[in-house]
Amino acid sequence: MNRAIYLNAAAVLNVAGSECTDLLGTPCAAQPLAFDAQRQAFALPTPRLASDLFDRKIQRSVEPQGLRLLHCAARLAPALSALQLPASRIALTAAIPEVDAPSPCWDAVQAIIEQPQKQLSQLLANTPPLHALTLLNSSVMAYVAEALNCHGPMGGFCSQDNAGLDALIEACQQIGERHADAALVVSSSPNLTPALYLREPDLASEPIFGEGAAALLLASTPAPGAVHAVRIAGFARGYSTDPQRSVAVGRRVIDQVLSVEKLRVGDVEHIVGNCADGQVMKLLEAFPREIRSTRAMTGELGASGLLTEVALTLHMSCEVAATPGYTLLVSHTRAGHWGALLLASETMEKHA
Amino acid sequence: MRAREVYVSGFGLVAPMALDAATLFERICRKQSCVREHPRFKALGFNNSAAGFIDDTQWQRIAAGFGGNAALHPRQSVLAEYVARQALERAGLTPADFAHSRSGLFLGANKYCADSHDLQRLSRCMDEAGRVDLDRLLDSPAASSATFTRRVDQQTQHLADRLGIRDHISTHSDACAAGTMAIGSAYRAIERGEIDLAICGAVELMANELPYYMFNSLGALCQADLPASEQSRPFMPDRSGFVLSEGSAMVILESAEHAQRRKAAPLGRVLGYANVCEAQKMTSSSRDGSKYEECMEAAIEDAGLLRSAVQHVNTHGTSTQANDSCEALALQRLFGGCQDFMTFTANKSAIGHSLAGSGAIEAVLSLMSLRDGVLLPTLNYDPERAEYPSLKFLSEPVRQPISVVMSNSFGFGGINSSLVLGRA
Repeated sequence: MNRAIYLNAAAVLNVAGSECTDLLGTPCAAQPLAFDAQRQAFALPTPRLASDLFDRKIQRSVEPQGLRLLHCAARLAPALSALQLPASRIALTAAIPEVDAPSPCWDAVQAIIEQPQKQLSQLLANTPPLHALTLLNSSVMAYVAEALNCHGPMGGFCSQDNAGLDALIEACQQIGERHADAALVVSSSPNLTPALYLREPDLASEPIFGEGAAALLLASTPAPGAVHAVRIAGFARGYSTDPQRSVAVGRRVIDQVLSVEKLRVGDVEHIVGNCADGQVMKLLEAFPREIRSTRAMTGELGASGLLTEVALTLHMSCEVAATPGYTLLVSHTRAGHWGALLLASETMEKHA
Repeated sequence: MRAREVYVSGFGLVAPMALDAATLFERICRKQSCVREHPRFKALGFNNSAAGFIDDTQWQRIAAGFGGNAALHPRQSVLAEYVARQALERAGLTPADFAHSRSGLFLGANKYCADSHDLQRLSRCMDEAGRVDLDRLLDSPAASSATFTRRVDQQTQHLADRLGIRDHISTHSDACAAGTMAIGSAYRAIERGEIDLAICGAVELMANELPYYMFNSLGALCQADLPASEQSRPFMPDRSGFVLSEGSAMVILESAEHAQRRKAAPLGRVLGYANVCEAQKMTSSSRDGSKYEECMEAAIEDAGLLRSAVQHVNTHGTSTQANDSCEALALQRLFGGCQDFMTFTANKSAIGHSLAGSGAIEAVLSLMSLRDGVLLPTLNYDPERAEYPSLKFLSEPVRQPISVVMSNSFGFGGINSSLVLGRA
């Protein structure tokens, strides 16, 4: 990257709470799902949006996953405003999982059950116009852009669990290539609906899912007045569904990101990754310390999982006792994506 | 001079009534619309049954070429594979080339949308309390293709596996701009040296009941009492909304070095790209077109060109009042006196609006215009009654060599994107 990129602020929302510090608490137990008592998950009540930023109709028309995302994005408004940037220099990237069909589909199913004698056209005749927008992932991004005044480059990603990494890298590239000076990166986990579980015919390999969201603010300068700064030192990605090649791809991705700062795994202070993933653990077996993960606290958060981990890293790096060092975050999705992110925690020099 | 030039070496396309790009190009040259009455829309008693849709005969041909039992896969994946195969063949590539190069796959898509059959099937698997009986649904014979197991990125995943993509796969969900943004993202990834070879574009299958209702409730669909083929009338004063359509297109991009190394014959080049978010209003842009103008200007700047270098614009041109007037104002202001030396086209006049697919389809048609020196007419366009007479939309095909084309896509929610394409 030809320009430094800093992580200025973060917001999270998950079953542990809405503060990063909540992720360091004691895990609560997953609960049975409303539609399938045999399965457990970390469900989350739908948040209420701040009425000063969002029109009230948004609360009524956006799906819960979108509302979670908007809730997190709104909490970054003060930090974004403090940067005092023109709207055209603020990028927006989004990781929107879109695991299930849009709400209108569920509404239609319900209507068919209640009035099976009616034609679909009659049942749908009174569809609220705003539901149309749930067909398009861009609608949630547009609500963020409108409320937080982001008029720079924009990009939405829906590669399921990997979408968070896609959105984060896109934001870094927009800043690194000077198309923007700051970027909001927003993400949400999928809703806990039957659709999510229809994809998981093998109960044994099914993770315990959680609902949540996370948002990050990146900028080309550290947050004004910050004592500690977290710089995005590098990122890399790869893809393979071939079990023979997968570990090699993962190794290449990790080596690539470490090479940016001429590091080896042992030089890194903290590593974040899914401890239940055998391939990740194999690649990181040389690391002498514990691999960190918030999964036990939140469940599998899909598209917002990585950003939640990044938010916690920022929080920990800004604690008074924090020492400078690197954190390596490794992501590996069940679909075959590999990703690595290197964060450098630095103490800002005080100027007279 | 750019650090790395990006060549287009192949493309593939399926649109309503066209199973390849050449067929679609010829249809438009002959001023034959791809929009007709959708039999299911008609059967369901919709007010207006006009749509662009891939019909059963086309689906049979598409499925016949599928490497496996197409019935077991979502149609999006089957279509993606068919289009990708065309693109690879045209580029003289095989899947092994992707597996052995630094490669990427970038596909635009919107949500998978259930049709009425899907919804009926699902409703039969719900109990009195409205809860889905998962076991019953999974046990049903159609479970393998059950609606709610489908993912918005299913076709990306499918294609990545078929091609052995190595480095980068992403699914872009930027509404009507998704196809253009996928191509733009692939271009940037090659330009910055991350990858050498990419397949990019979009797949969209939304010409069904729910999207019809959703967009109709927004007042976005055409409701004019006109024959189906005459309903999409971009930039005409009597335009009254877009016609829902579907389709897919993909292009092969590669670095100049990669293309030269394998002695590929380039079909064109990607010269520049920009995307800008405006979020002025959810379903319409800034009324003066200033945001569209900014986006186009940024793409021209990215290409390192002067605006006078752009000879032809493939407009977003949806046929809605708001979009077309914003785009026309933006074009008039951006190109000013240069308009006299330029031509414009609006492919949606012939195809309808295939949402995420539209940008990719229009990019392919633009590349064909560059390659063949043939500029496409805008159907249903009457210069005598033009609302924006300074914009020279063609009502007949014109043979004229050109070097630079701009292709616009402006999505719901204010996602604006423009590509600048050049002759090989």
